Amino acid sequence: MTALLPQFRLAHPRSVSDAIATSQENAGSRFIAGGTDLIVNARHGLGKSSLLIDLSGIRELAEIRASDHGIRIGSMVSIAALTRDAATSQNYRAVKEAAEAIAGPGHRLMGTVGGNLCLDTRCIYYNQSEWWRRANGFCLKHGGDTCHVAPQGRRCHAAFAGDLAPAFLALRAEVEIAGASGCRRIPVGDLYVEDGSAHLTLAPDELIVAVVLPPNPPPSSYAKVRVRGAIDFPLAGVAVALAAANGVIQSLNIGLTGTNSRPFLLAGTDAIAGRPVDEKVLQQLDRLVQKQVQPMRTTIASAHYRRLAAAALACRLVASLSAAKEA
Amino acid sequence: MTIKLDGKARRQGVPLIDGIDKVTGRARYTADLEHADALVGRILRSPVSHGEIVRLDVSKALALEGVRAVITGDDCPHTYGVLPIAMNEYPLARGRVRYRGEPVAAVAATDLETAEKALGLIELEVRALPAYYTSEDARADGAVLLHENKPGNIEREVHHGFGDVDRGFSEADLVREATITCAEVNHAQIEPHACLADFDPLTGRLTVQSVSQVGYYLHLMLARCLEIDASRIRVVKPFVGGGFGARVEVLNFEIITALLARVAPGKVRMHLTREENFLTHRARPQTDMRLKLGMRRDGRITACELHVVQRGGAYAGYGIVTLLYAGALLQGLYDIPAIKYDGYRVYANLPPCGAMRGHGGVNTRHAFECLLDRMARELLLDPFAVRRANLLHAPTRTLNDLMVNSYGLAECLDKVEAASNWHNRIGKLPRGKGLGMACSHYVSGAAKPIHWTGEPHAVVNVRLDFDGGVTALTGAADIGQGSSTMVAIAVAETLGVSLDRVRVIAGDSAVTPKDNGAYSSRITFMVGNAAIDAARRLRTILCEAAAQKLEVPPEDVDCIGEAFHVGGGGQSSIAFCDVAKAALVNRGPITVTGTFTCPPEAQGGKHRGGAVGSTMGFSYAAQVVEVTVDEATGLVTVDKVWAALDCGHAINPLAVEGQIEGSVWMGMGQALSEETTYADGLPLHASLLEYRVPTAAESPPIEVHIVESNDPNGPFGAKEASEGALAGFPPALVNAVANAIGIDLNALPVTPDRVVEALVERRRGLRLAAARRAAS
Repeated sequence: MTALLPQFRLAHPRSVSDAIATSQENAGSRFIAGGTDLIVNARHGLGKSSLLIDLSGIRELAEIRASDHGIRIGSMVSIAALTRDAATSQNYRAVKEAAEAIAGPGHRLMGTVGGNLCLDTRCIYYNQSEWWRRANGFCLKHGGDTCHVAPQGRRCHAAFAGDLAPAFLALRAEVEIAGASGCRRIPVGDLYVEDGSAHLTLAPDELIVAVVLPPNPPPSSYAKVRVRGAIDFPLAGVAVALAAANGVIQSLNIGLTGTNSRPFLLAGTDAIAGRPVDEKVLQQLDRLVQKQVQPMRTTIASAHYRRLAAAALACRLVASLSAAKEA
Repeated sequence: MTIKLDGKARRQGVPLIDGIDKVTGRARYTADLEHADALVGRILRSPVSHGEIVRLDVSKALALEGVRAVITGDDCPHTYGVLPIAMNEYPLARGRVRYRGEPVAAVAATDLETAEKALGLIELEVRALPAYYTSEDARADGAVLLHENKPGNIEREVHHGFGDVDRGFSEADLVREATITCAEVNHAQIEPHACLADFDPLTGRLTVQSVSQVGYYLHLMLARCLEIDASRIRVVKPFVGGGFGARVEVLNFEIITALLARVAPGKVRMHLTREENFLTHRARPQTDMRLKLGMRRDGRITACELHVVQRGGAYAGYGIVTLLYAGALLQGLYDIPAIKYDGYRVYANLPPCGAMRGHGGVNTRHAFECLLDRMARELLLDPFAVRRANLLHAPTRTLNDLMVNSYGLAECLDKVEAASNWHNRIGKLPRGKGLGMACSHYVSGAAKPIHWTGEPHAVVNVRLDFDGGVTALTGAADIGQGSSTMVAIAVAETLGVSLDRVRVIAGDSAVTPKDNGAYSSRITFMVGNAAIDAARRLRTILCEAAAQKLEVPPEDVDCIGEAFHVGGGGQSSIAFCDVAKAALVNRGPITVTGTFTCPPEAQGGKHRGGAVGSTMGFSYAAQVVEVTVDEATGLVTVDKVWAALDCGHAINPLAVEGQIEGSVWMGMGQALSEETTYADGLPLHASLLEYRVPTAAESPPIEVHIVESNDPNGPFGAKEASEGALAGFPPALVNAVANAIGIDLNALPVTPDRVVEALVERRRGLRLAAARRAAS
């Protein structure tokens, strides 16, 4: 048996403005896209809401449009549709690889681009049943005042585990956000802050309309470590976009997920630009990643492993992208 | 669909007779049964690991509209359990709780929401006691006892010695020890636990339909716990979506559902969540092993000493049997002149462990095959050669008095060695690629039943009526392993009729003869023999009727291809239906009873616990596993598996192949990714997301080879086929990882973090050694 789903009403807006208006009229309402994260959590008594605003009827959100200005991916495009999109697959390899690595086929059919960007953060003390969390005295993220991962600390360490965000980060994408006061466009990185219990900067009545990938991207790739080759969230996920000429790095962007409460762009890669991809650079990169990721004991696998694996993946992807370039 | 058992079907096998129902969705599992008028049952579970129940007030829950029954430990003063000597558990806790998740109270209400609400209104106050989550903590001096009569929190110690171990070690050229640990695993059967109980207050009759592998035990426990005469109880087993040992003992929720149905009174359905499935547990315990082996330069094993500690959880369950199996199954695979075994089953404040596919033998076999491989390497011997140096020769009896009448291990070794091209590839693979191998075995049914009644060990009834249909009635629980198909084939083959003339009705106590259940891989051997016996009896009757019509002596008549022939078919013949009609004229509808009983000499040694491990025949398996290890991420990929199993004779080769693949795959789960993890007794793994059963993405090609050693006592020569190939996988994988990266891992599962930790450790060791060299 699956646990009981709480009572809720469902609204079916036909336009973005309708959706936002409904949200403003109903405090405590939530937007629902594919539901692969939200419904699972709701059954655990997490993120309860009396009104869910279903975005699946808003046709304009489900479009992918390619132009000279890049590619604009609607937030309600399903992960499965994204994996099949030719333009994305050809030029934005990291996005395609990240999409293909998400969960299982069923999740990819239902899950959406916007939903994956807005995934709730995850923790072994949080993603449990109501009975479990009550027996454990609840936690800082929901219903309690202690983070069981770091009881001395004052913040929640739940980790973000979406696969698409690091790819968008590395490819310098932006998100279009619609709200009561109109549209705004921000870099993907600005969507997040390093706080497991409030990692999104979206206002309650704001929703992501689209992700915009800039044109002429450098070669990119995504890889994640997980125990199983399907279903599992990333213990660490890395997207690399590498522009190189004559074996020399021109620009290097690395997006990371699974290790922190937010996906983030690795700082300090500028210092590597202008150098060839060699053993020394890879060692430097390894240290850079290990220093910046902050995995905590939010997964059954050890935090130390996630740190090492993130660094190893980053180096592997940089090496393989530079090798592919030469070939 | 007509399935004829012609030569081709015999060679390739036939689809399961209930396969079409399953793949079309027609099959009704317990949760699918008609429950429109049923109340919904839910269980309140202890939020603390260990403590005294100070107060349990259900009055508010009882007062809630829509609540029809609320029960607590007061409603059942009887313990339950699978072993008559170790029933120390109540369906609902009485006075004390011993693990987080233990049932404390239960509710039956008109709907799920009301039931959940009622659980929330039950007031439970528990005075906490110290709780222990490791064997070490539970055994420490001064630890509070979980059960007052079990000092040191030890449920059972086993100390067995066979042969002269000291002499064996002194005669060895190499003696090595290994300390190996296996994480606790769970069956993770796909169908969650469910039960539907219907109590009629007017007649006092109780009908229970449940996911059980052991309907007969459930029947007995319901009678005991509800104090109902067994004749008023009916237990029906609907389709079951996987057992693997999860349902091989009666489970608390089954008794609780029946208790609720009686109090309500009426019909109650209980569907457990996945989390509750993990809390119910009853699977393979976390096991610490210290193994010592002696080996001569030629690979001959001279002595074996094993020390085992099993963390059994809060209650006894099958524990004593698991512990005895862990020692007993050191034997029966190889010829070992001296064996010493010391085993400890420890209580801890965690969900109780129980039986799981390969019961008791899997972790022991893992340690043994790993150490064997390491010693072979040290002596520069080939792993195959080491196994061959220690083969048994059937017929024989092992040191602990187990019968070995057929033994196809040598052929299994030959098959996988050739198929994997072992000798041309081993040692020549690039870094990161490796080959490993291991052997394993398992019993074909415990020769001594747990519940000793003196009755036959298996009974099958076969009916023949006016329609010419042959109906086999068996209590044996088909849980997906194909036992009903096996019964149908056994009857059809023996009678000489087509398979679709035979109908099998299984697992309904009102109709089918008692059966001990689907455990210890007993059904093919025991029920198969009983089915053949019943069919022979029917054939005798039919041959007599045919002989009368053909006017020849009965011994001249035989039934082949649905017709009775004289003298091998060349002369006159009569169709099966005509003979059936003639037989019915003589005596009316016919029911015959076939039985099978393991003789006393098969029932194990005279030493205490000697019955465990005893069997009429062992299956034997060898397998080779090929892996790729990614040293950066620690990920191990299984590229290919070659598995050979000696099942005596494959009654249904298609089903045997499926069972071997399933065993290999389940062993792969334990080897690679499956483990339970607790935070102060709360399961961190209680979902199919965090409990990592392999997915299709990890499933390697498995090349199956069936070896047929023709057991003299097996039905058509058959032995078990469902468990034997499991235990070989984990050690074959660990041996392959050692071959790939030169590291011997001592803990299961081989998760990427464990591999990376081991690589980091090795680099640290090399750096330290280099620094020391530089300094000296």
